[in-house]
Amino acid sequence: MRVLLVEDDADLSRQLKQALGDAGYAVDHAADGEEAHFLGDTEPYDVVVLDLGLPKIDGVSVLERWRRDGKTTPVLILTARGAWSDKVSGFDAGADDYLTKPFHTEELLARLRALLRRSAGIASATLACGGLRLDPRAARATVNGEPLRLTSLEYRLLHYMMMHQGRVISRTELVEHLYDQDFDRDSNTIEVFIGRLRKKVGSDRIETVRGLGYRLTPLAGEFEAA
Amino acid sequence: MTEAAAVSKPLRERWFGRPGRSLTRRLIWLASAWIVAALMLTGWMLTSQYRESALRRLGNELGDVIDNVLSGSSVGPAGLVVPEIKDASTLRGLSGKYWMVGEVDAEGGFQVLARSSSLAGESLYVDTELPDRLRNAFGDTITYNDPGILPEEAQPLRIAASMKSLPGREAPFVFMAGIERSEIDADTRQFATFTWTALLILGVGLVIAVFLQVQVGLRPLFNLRVEIANVRKGRAARIARDYPNEIQPLAEQVNRLLDHNQEVVERQRTHVGNLAHALKTPLSVMLAEAGTDAGPLAVVVRRQSEIMKGQVDHHLRRARAAARAAHGLGERTPVAEVIDELAVMLERVFQSKDVEIDWRAPDDLAFLGERQDLQEILGNLIENACKWSTRRVRVSAGTSGLGQMIAVVEDDGPGLPADQREAVMKRGTRLDEDAPGSGLGLSIVDDLTRAYGGRLSLAASDLGGLKAVLELPAAER
Repeated sequence: MRVLLVEDDADLSRQLKQALGDAGYAVDHAADGEEAHFLGDTEPYDVVVLDLGLPKIDGVSVLERWRRDGKTTPVLILTARGAWSDKVSGFDAGADDYLTKPFHTEELLARLRALLRRSAGIASATLACGGLRLDPRAARATVNGEPLRLTSLEYRLLHYMMMHQGRVISRTELVEHLYDQDFDRDSNTIEVFIGRLRKKVGSDRIETVRGLGYRLTPLAGEFEAA
Repeated sequence: MTEAAAVSKPLRERWFGRPGRSLTRRLIWLASAWIVAALMLTGWMLTSQYRESALRRLGNELGDVIDNVLSGSSVGPAGLVVPEIKDASTLRGLSGKYWMVGEVDAEGGFQVLARSSSLAGESLYVDTELPDRLRNAFGDTITYNDPGILPEEAQPLRIAASMKSLPGREAPFVFMAGIERSEIDADTRQFATFTWTALLILGVGLVIAVFLQVQVGLRPLFNLRVEIANVRKGRAARIARDYPNEIQPLAEQVNRLLDHNQEVVERQRTHVGNLAHALKTPLSVMLAEAGTDAGPLAVVVRRQSEIMKGQVDHHLRRARAAARAAHGLGERTPVAEVIDELAVMLERVFQSKDVEIDWRAPDDLAFLGERQDLQEILGNLIENACKWSTRRVRVSAGTSGLGQMIAVVEDDGPGLPADQREAVMKRGTRLDEDAPGSGLGLSIVDDLTRAYGGRLSLAASDLGGLKAVLELPAAER
């Protein structure tokens, strides 16, 4: 497993390199944003540990660039500020996990293992519906290349609708496929989630078929592009 | 207090309370007082002038009568000869126009020597002081009011009298003429009524005009008041409108103050953040370094680093809450948006556990405060819930009563017994070392919530785990 470690503090870098190496990773180290971006862009890493406070280009911008270029490598961000606004902006940029400094090395290693397990899930083909794309491997969706921010329920809803695009799907069917058995099955809540999903993917993509259910279709004029 | 009293008191105070308290009232009272004074003076001048000129006209007519009588009079061997003058109204009985000639005898009494036919044998009243006054103003004519020859008929008169000498007689004669005054009195009264009515209408009109002028003129001020209230209530971030030259500087100063406030908070935040960064990276290094060694020094370093970490977190949190307390104007944070981004993020973080965050919040619900603070409060609560949950986390938010919102975060984890719920809010308490994180989450939430005048309480959830209930100020919709 190759890991890219992006950290500007020399001591912390040395320690982490040592710990990661001991845990069996092949470690590359970058001390600033520019170098990090270059390495991440050219080398096929399995996971990235990215500090947010970096010289030259900050961590969030580096991450944004990678994601814009279509890199789906899982990224764990390190933040010293611990403010939720930093974490949220990190996730908006495409982070998969975060750790607040100071942290225990063991915890970092545990998180990296979890990230790698996750990304090693069954690979399946990317789904597309017009400008809407969903990558089940990375559990990410995009609209016209822009990443979508979805909760897991919204993601499952979109995934299901994309697998059955063009077909009218009833609310009952959605309830049955979205919730497992412990959940209260209330078909009214589907409306709430359809509403939220519409806001995120564009309301014209999800059509309400009165009395029957919902249908996901590409926008008019998107057929050629798809 | 009854409702009627609640309504009438401000109204009464608005117009009759201390004038210094209201600019509107001050302007209106001042202008009204000036208008009333000016109009009363005008009215008094007009009516008295009218009366004066009417009396002057009457005086001239009386003078003519005296002149006519005088020019016809002569002193013959038989004494004074006075012919009737050629004025029909002095002939008809009690016509209202009279003349009389007399003299003051040796004893000081008054003898009537001749009179107009219109007097019909009556005399004009001569009071005892008149001869002396006439003597003092010898040759001149004096005029005065008189109740009338027949007081019971109430025909008030204007009388002119003059003491003159005629050739051929040394002792002077007194010439008197009188004209009924009632017509002039009526005229004057009518004029006065008319004048005062017109002035009253003018006055009321002017006061209304002043009122409107003040209302319209001060409207920008009222608008500014509304805008400032909106900023305070979180419906606007700044004063946005353009104002007249006189109060634009005030609006700009308010904006500058808001900016300054914001700037101070931002600076505090940045400062706190920088301090955190500066301290936490070295702490990470120490922790990691000590972790690789099993010696006694490493154990001490590791333990002390943990304590330092706790202290740093605690004081940074205090600083943040203090920065927050100094602020509190104008921010309006959509709650659903913040919950959504946190849910998306935390579900990803806790993906290995397959945690599902089910959240409900009305789209138009807004927190009256800064986004960063709401992120901090809800982020810590939801993260905690995810940490302890088996699979399910439920977040619901809504309004409660006036200007308040409630957010509830629940999980299906093991939960906490009542006595431990209290303890967990205290600084640094960690109930389970195995759960990742510092254990400070809840007390950060509690501090921030208090800084907003809100409340955090813990209870048991029907999902089986902990239920955190937040009360926070809500922005008006």
